Amino acid sequence: MRGSRWGGTAALLVLLAWAVSGVDPGALGRLDVRGARALRGVLHPDLAPQFLREVLSYAAETLQMAVAGVALSCVLAVPLALLIAGSSRAPRPLRALARLLAGLLRGVPELVYALVLVAVVGLGPLAGTLALAVHGAGLLAKLWSEQLESVDGRAVEAVRLAGAGRPGVLLLGVLPQARPGLLSLLLYQLECNVRSATVLGVVGAGGLGQALELSLRLFQYARLGTLVIAVLLLVLGVDALSRRLRGRWGADVRSVPA
Amino acid sequence: MTGPASATGLVVAGLTVVHPGARPALSEVSLTALHEVSLVAEPGEQLVVLGRSGAGKTTLLHALLGAGPREAGTVRVGGLDPYDPAQRLRVRRSTGLVLQGGDLVPRVRARTAALSGSSHLFGAAGWWALARGRVPAPLAPRLAQLAGEQGVEQLLDRPVAALSGGERQRVALVRALLGGPGLLLADEPTAGLDPASADAAVSALLAQRATLVVTTHDPLVAARFPRVVALRDGQVVHDGGALSAVQAEQLYARA
Repeated sequence: MRGSRWGGTAALLVLLAWAVSGVDPGALGRLDVRGARALRGVLHPDLAPQFLREVLSYAAETLQMAVAGVALSCVLAVPLALLIAGSSRAPRPLRALARLLAGLLRGVPELVYALVLVAVVGLGPLAGTLALAVHGAGLLAKLWSEQLESVDGRAVEAVRLAGAGRPGVLLLGVLPQARPGLLSLLLYQLECNVRSATVLGVVGAGGLGQALELSLRLFQYARLGTLVIAVLLLVLGVDALSRRLRGRWGADVRSVPA
Repeated sequence: MTGPASATGLVVAGLTVVHPGARPALSEVSLTALHEVSLVAEPGEQLVVLGRSGAGKTTLLHALLGAGPREAGTVRVGGLDPYDPAQRLRVRRSTGLVLQGGDLVPRVRARTAALSGSSHLFGAAGWWALARGRVPAPLAPRLAQLAGEQGVEQLLDRPVAALSGGERQRVALVRALLGGPGLLLADEPTAGLDPASADAAVSALLAQRATLVVTTHDPLVAARFPRVVALRDGQVVHDGGALSAVQAEQLYARA
């Protein structure tokens, strides 16, 4: 017992050493003048009102991409989640097909979708939005279907035995129980989208990320600093908002019966 | 959509149910949930199915609604076969069901829970009304009447999670009665209730005109019914008047 624990620790240390050796931490010691300038720029952000207005519009674009992306995800994910969830009693082949499709959609990272879509629909927020939508749909379909399956089956059975059809069972038995969880996952997806939308901008899919990449390429480090702060504020803001909404929507979850 | 339609008669003949999940490793007895159960109930008759846990009471109620597997035998509810997919919904919609502990969907208001067994009567306008927190028009008068009879008018706005066990049971009874059922089924309706609430729950069931089948493991509850059907290990061991003390003791004795 004790021996195997030491063995595990040793294996973990070897793994860590291997990982760190690939990171090349020695590069920290080779920081040159440009690195120092970049660091100073980030610490002294460009706060000119005109640039701030620009940043605000970039941030709005990122937010638009995130929201539009999650909205489109919903449209795709609702039918998929319903088909996948066992409680909907969809025919088996249809279920397998929906599960496969959802797996394929979420299996490809957003960044890869964005790269392809930028080539197809051109630079700008449309590519980013579609990338977020497609990947998010696959993810939401899986998470939602699990949420639909995890409801109290006895209450659902009671509705079914009362003679409710499929829509009745779903709307009166399953959804009321799953709703807080479904909404919570939706908000979480929105949070993820805001973060991802920033990354997607770097490959030219619009928003703060695109501006970030541009200022980096033009060595405008003060602007880079402003943009990094803007990303932080946006992400933190959306997180805070979503936490508040979640608390409100899930409020009745906490009143567990005695 | 007013008072109950005429009460429904029941015929169960040679019903055998084997649960598919049961493995051969378990004893023969527990493999078979019901063994050649036959039972006839006249329209309006009130009977109680008595037996200890695992005797097959719930399985019998499920069979009356065509739920769960069936090995052999026939079931007729008001002449309809609940195991025929074409007739199953008609049987279920003309039957009221009260499950153990109420089994209301948590996280909805009591009003929605009371309506949740009658969604086939809503229509598009009814669904729209429900979405706005109102009662679908065709059901409003009857819901008001039943809620008054069961004393739950004040509770309809409260979330199910905030109701006591007895209150839930009353809401569940309103739900079961809302469609004007000819047959009323209740599975252990007194489980988890204090004696006063349990007594009230049974009285409310007995006050209905529909044919009534109630399961219980409580001989005191059974004593309030004119007809007692005793199940032991999936077989009917008594069908008639109240059980004698000796019979009751045998029913609960370990094999």
